[in-house]
Amino acid sequence: MLSPTQEALLAIMMVIIMFGMGSSLTFKDFRIAMRHPQAIMIGFASQYLFMPLIAFTLATVLGLNTVQTVGLVLMGCVPGGTTSNIFAYFSRSLLSLSIMMTVCSTLAAVLMVPVILDFYTGDVDAQFRVPPGNVASLLFVLLIPTLIGMWLRRFNANAGAVSELLGGVLGLLVIIYLLVTWLPGGAPLLRETGWETYAAVIGLGLCGFVIGYWFARATGLNRVKARTVSLETGIQNGPLAVLIVVITFSGQLQVEMMAIPVLYSVFIVITSSFVTLYYRRRNRHDELLRDQAKIEPA
Amino acid sequence: MSSAHAVYAERPWSSQYHDAQQQSPRSTEFDNLPALLVDSADHFSDQKAFTTCTANGMNGRMTFAQVDEASDAFAIYLREELGVAPGTRVAIQMPNCLSYPVAAFGVLKAGCVLVNVNPLYTAPEMEKQFIDSGAEVLVIIDMFTDKLAGMLSRTPIRHVITTTISLYFPPVVRPIVYYIQKYWSRMIPDCPVEAIFLLDALESGRRLRQAVGIDPRDYWKDLGRSDLALLQYTGGTTGVAKGAMLSHGNLLANIGQIDCMGRSHIEDGRECVLTALPVYHVFAFSVNLLSFYMSGAHNILVPSPRPIQNLQRAIQNYPITWITGVNTLFNALLNEEWFTVYPPKHLKASIAGGTALHRSVAERWRRITGTPLVEGYGLTESSPVVTFNPLTTEPRPGSIGIPVPDTEIMLVNPDGEPVAPGEPGELIVRGPQVMAGYWEKPEETAKTLRDGWLYTGDIAVMDADGYLSIVDRKKDMILVSGFNVYPNEIEDCISRLDAVQEVAVIGVPDDDTGEAVRAFVVKRGEITADEIRQHCQQALARYKVPKQIEFRDELPTTPIGKVLRKDLRAEYLNRNAPQ
Repeated sequence: MLSPTQEALLAIMMVIIMFGMGSSLTFKDFRIAMRHPQAIMIGFASQYLFMPLIAFTLATVLGLNTVQTVGLVLMGCVPGGTTSNIFAYFSRSLLSLSIMMTVCSTLAAVLMVPVILDFYTGDVDAQFRVPPGNVASLLFVLLIPTLIGMWLRRFNANAGAVSELLGGVLGLLVIIYLLVTWLPGGAPLLRETGWETYAAVIGLGLCGFVIGYWFARATGLNRVKARTVSLETGIQNGPLAVLIVVITFSGQLQVEMMAIPVLYSVFIVITSSFVTLYYRRRNRHDELLRDQAKIEPA
Repeated sequence: MSSAHAVYAERPWSSQYHDAQQQSPRSTEFDNLPALLVDSADHFSDQKAFTTCTANGMNGRMTFAQVDEASDAFAIYLREELGVAPGTRVAIQMPNCLSYPVAAFGVLKAGCVLVNVNPLYTAPEMEKQFIDSGAEVLVIIDMFTDKLAGMLSRTPIRHVITTTISLYFPPVVRPIVYYIQKYWSRMIPDCPVEAIFLLDALESGRRLRQAVGIDPRDYWKDLGRSDLALLQYTGGTTGVAKGAMLSHGNLLANIGQIDCMGRSHIEDGRECVLTALPVYHVFAFSVNLLSFYMSGAHNILVPSPRPIQNLQRAIQNYPITWITGVNTLFNALLNEEWFTVYPPKHLKASIAGGTALHRSVAERWRRITGTPLVEGYGLTESSPVVTFNPLTTEPRPGSIGIPVPDTEIMLVNPDGEPVAPGEPGELIVRGPQVMAGYWEKPEETAKTLRDGWLYTGDIAVMDADGYLSIVDRKKDMILVSGFNVYPNEIEDCISRLDAVQEVAVIGVPDDDTGEAVRAFVVKRGEITADEIRQHCQQALARYKVPKQIEFRDELPTTPIGKVLRKDLRAEYLNRNAPQ
């Protein structure tokens, strides 16, 4: 179980990450992006429609216990992670679309997460449930640094750009921090954990990548946009899920449920890296093809 | 005097000058540039003079007083520490950044001659220019020092000073920008030659100033208007790279003429000008760096305007009132949604130079920003501005406007005889902004300067009010079955199509017609070659309609964004060389 100091540190890191995410764009960027909401809406749909469904299905098929099921569904419900932007950048996808999708899903999370969470886990035993009110108020609190970040970008460009960078770096560091703080309590648990749990946490991200891509393609987005949506769908805000678990549960239950988002966060960095390398090759390939097609004989 | 002579002597354009254009600008009060720079710094001391804004919005800034103090220190360093003599050539090679005004003003204050070097030059090009100019000192951005390896010993350069884009950025931001450039983007190579960092040079200048009690005014107070200030390299009208010798008087005169041109839309100390063109180019050097410094404007220096999104934060974060640019830059901005949805609110006017401004771009600009975009005309040899469109009257699309005050022009035929108004002729120019000649190239000088007249190599026509229009470069003219075709006209026509983002037209050898019109088109939307031809047939005589159309991703341009027709021509000839 996390000590109060560790909890506070995690909360502070989350605030900085949200703040950094807000700093990555201005209200103007936001309004401009909303003029062509198609891609963002598609990403939004795959984020909040498919990810929770994938999580719930995996948990059912793999026969996870109630605690793990709640953890996995929670993982499927949380908005996109800021690390997706870093991977979008490296895969030569559309960084602006990635940032916009992360921000939109985060802003909407205050409504969407409690509702969807309740839909899938509303009937589980009360002691294992995540109260929707808790989630809503936490997400609401995290909206404040996001909005301040957006305002800061406009008001002081230097501070905005620095916090964007800081938020991005911290987004990766926090996963190491989580692993380190969770391991002392969770290590014994790791030995008992069956292959089903690993399959579930790894599968959630992988299914997100695949379904996100094909859903985007089916709805008419081009390949580069579809790859952006794919990364965005598969990569969830793991640390946020951990924070929700930490403020809701305590003792052994907390350690057990935390296992899911912590393991997810660690594995998603690994799987995303491979997917990013693959997408980078494909994006390059498509760029070359497009250039070739433009050379029309005179 | 022939009747054609008389027309030009009467200056039919002079009635178009606005009252404000008749007043003498402040630059006429001074004998040299440092005097003007110091006077402006005294005037506007604590106001912001320069801000460098990077693509992600990170920025650093300097006030007029800071620029003045730092450039004094640099002048002292040059003269005392390096011991260079007055008149020594000092080369500066960097993109737009805060180090530029510090170094450039320092060179002028030291009584030395500034040599602007294009930072994108290759090592052999640099070497050639260093040798030709005889530069003894080089101030270079850290990004390109690797090109110096093994070269310096063959040039007269004795001292190298390096600087970095993030110089004068705030404490936390500066190392971040530097380390990202160095280790993430790997844009900063290790410097292969012995060099001193600009800040250390300035520190040493400051120490000397205090210890020995030097007054940098002594370096420049005796400089006169005819003394050389700048060697500005140009391919010029004949194609060989050569340094146009611009004196303090040339530049002071042109700064004043530029100020006259914009005066109706300039409030001293209140303007904010976007400098997206590189200041090592004569257009931004005279207009943005010098003229707007005189009027106390805040200059927003953008290190690289490509991709065009790099300008987004600069335009959104500062109350831009003036933009200077070239056709391609304005066109690119008009293709950006962030620009067209939120055009700059405080904008008053924009000037295009360097190359022909397309009518469609000027019209769209006016519609979207609600402010005029007018074309001026000039060349390196004339510091550069020769003509401008007055902002106080209805803009005349397609015209380069009327001559700036104190400038004479004539349009002449190949025999040097003036042609009648309405007839095309080569534009020749006489005025205080015209250079003394090319550096150590008397033969080139003799070809370009005759009896005090600068032969521009541009074909123009003049209407009854004295408004001029450039028909085209003399050497770009295409001869189709004996008819003269001017690429500008075709480009202007094709660029009116919405699906066309950019276009360039050249003449290529053709078995049937001698030369044929070939258009290179960058698409914005979907369009076929036939659709383009159909559009041209409606507006142009049959022989002007492009016979060949090639679609491309981009067009080759100069650092300021002029489309390089000569590169397209060379590429085409290369590709189609007889086997």
